[in-house]
Amino acid sequence: MADRPLQLTLNGQSVGPVDIPDDLPMIDYLHEYKNLTGSRLGCGQGICHACVVIVDNPDGTSEEVRTCITGAHYFEGKKVRTIESHAKRDESGQVTELNPIQQRFVDEFAFQCSYCAPGFVNAATVLVEKLQRQPIVQSQLEQVIEDSLGHHICRCTGYVRYYNATRNVLNDLGLVKEG
Amino acid sequence: MKLFLTRLTLAVGLAAPVLFAHADDQVKRGEYLARAADCMACHTAPGGAPFAGGLPIVSPFGTIYGTNITPSKAQGIGLYSDEEFFAALTEGKRRDGAHLYPAMPYTSYHLMPREDSDAIHAYLKTIEPIERAAPETRLSFPFNVRLGLIGWNLLYGKALELEPAEGKSDAWKRGQYMVEVLGHCGECHTPRGLPGAMQLDKRLTGGILNGYLAPSLLATDLAARGWNEQDLATFLKHGMSAQGTMFNEMFPVFHNSTQGLSDPDLAAMATFLLGDKPPPARALVEVPVDKLSPSAQRGRQEYLNVCAGCHAAGGEGKPHIAVAMRGNTTLRLEDPRNLLRVIEDGIGEQKFSGFEHMQPMPGFAGKLSAQQLTDLLNYLRQGWGGQSAELAVSNVQKLQAQAPSVEHNAH
Repeated sequence: MADRPLQLTLNGQSVGPVDIPDDLPMIDYLHEYKNLTGSRLGCGQGICHACVVIVDNPDGTSEEVRTCITGAHYFEGKKVRTIESHAKRDESGQVTELNPIQQRFVDEFAFQCSYCAPGFVNAATVLVEKLQRQPIVQSQLEQVIEDSLGHHICRCTGYVRYYNATRNVLNDLGLVKEG
Repeated sequence: MKLFLTRLTLAVGLAAPVLFAHADDQVKRGEYLARAADCMACHTAPGGAPFAGGLPIVSPFGTIYGTNITPSKAQGIGLYSDEEFFAALTEGKRRDGAHLYPAMPYTSYHLMPREDSDAIHAYLKTIEPIERAAPETRLSFPFNVRLGLIGWNLLYGKALELEPAEGKSDAWKRGQYMVEVLGHCGECHTPRGLPGAMQLDKRLTGGILNGYLAPSLLATDLAARGWNEQDLATFLKHGMSAQGTMFNEMFPVFHNSTQGLSDPDLAAMATFLLGDKPPPARALVEVPVDKLSPSAQRGRQEYLNVCAGCHAAGGEGKPHIAVAMRGNTTLRLEDPRNLLRVIEDGIGEQKFSGFEHMQPMPGFAGKLSAQQLTDLLNYLRQGWGGQSAELAVSNVQKLQAQAPSVEHNAH
């Protein structure tokens, strides 16, 4: 396998071009080259979704992409956000404020071991951004949460609290209308 | 008198188990034949009661629903005599005289002997009657006029004739019956003409079904795609072999039918398909990356980006996760349609025999551009499929335009 240059925007910072192997999985690039270890390698087969990052598309939409089964070069020229991008930090890099999803998950004890938490936070963040573009009504809420988070696996059976916290944060942010 | 009665009792007592044993044998045989004929696939809705009907069968003429064939007198076939059942199976004639739509493969079953039909009927009488009406088939005019089928049946109903079996082995003959009649493989693997009838001069050369190709089953074509008798029998038994896994419309066929067939019957099917003197399976010639076309070389990077995570960089696949690409029969098909459809549609999680399974494959429709897809197809087909033809973007776009608009159940 040969090296080839990769250039992308990672958590708002322009990265590269940097030569990396053409078959390097994105999760390995994040862990080993960028020391961004918050994205979790779970199943390595694209099932558990603990490894997802957010890709910001040119049309203003955002989506989750699994980094364990996707090569780093797939992200060439793309804008990528990892779990490390959500909280506000001070100049020394210390976290000063969590994003609303993170805060709610902490407040409501949504996770136990936390291995799946980065994936759930990213999925719920993508959901918030989707509803900011297009709010939904109450009757759609349960299905929308299921569609958005249902493919993430949590082995501590934390689904109920994840779903509750997500429901609450979406309501608090005014993204769910009556109806 | 007493002696006579005793003898009579004795005689009846001895004969009854024999009669029952005969009936039991017939039911067991019928159960096996029904499996080989894959009645389940169309006559059972997803998640529904067995044989209670309701599966929507999408055809170019409209949606046809599989009927309830449980012994319910009101909703099923509980009132059918053996004679009437035979007529439905082999002539497409309903008990009330109406004509069945030829989604019912009487065009193949018409060569079934009466005793096999009776056995299937005997088996169906033993299953639980389900009092549920299957949804009514409503086709657009003129296909909703069932009388129109009289002419159709005259032309095509019994048009299928089997290849003469003189000089063939017993296994070949058995395989012919399993494939051509019971398995009715030709109903999908044969192209259909304008009135929806099989083009029998192109028998088993492949047909299009809901956007996917049911590939050619001719011996030379199977051998060109790397099939030998043993692998073909394994494929039918386990739904997978070195050449890949069953997917799309063939997956339920495996699930409901072929995995439950006897090893000798599966071997016989392979013998019939490849012939008593099978052509040698074509060895795969792999092309090194630097000898590939520029498009295929670009496609290699697409493969590393979105496929190699599961199918492995070297194309060897991963056990219980994803099949090997190297030598995969779908890559070796001259027609790129199925490869494109699988990449765009994905495949749901699949369970095979035993504890074997494969992880779901994501669909990449809308995620890869036509150029990226073309490059990827060229890499897969030329690198690991032994294909020399170079696809252009326009080939891929043309195939994309032919894909069914409704999302199809991609197993």
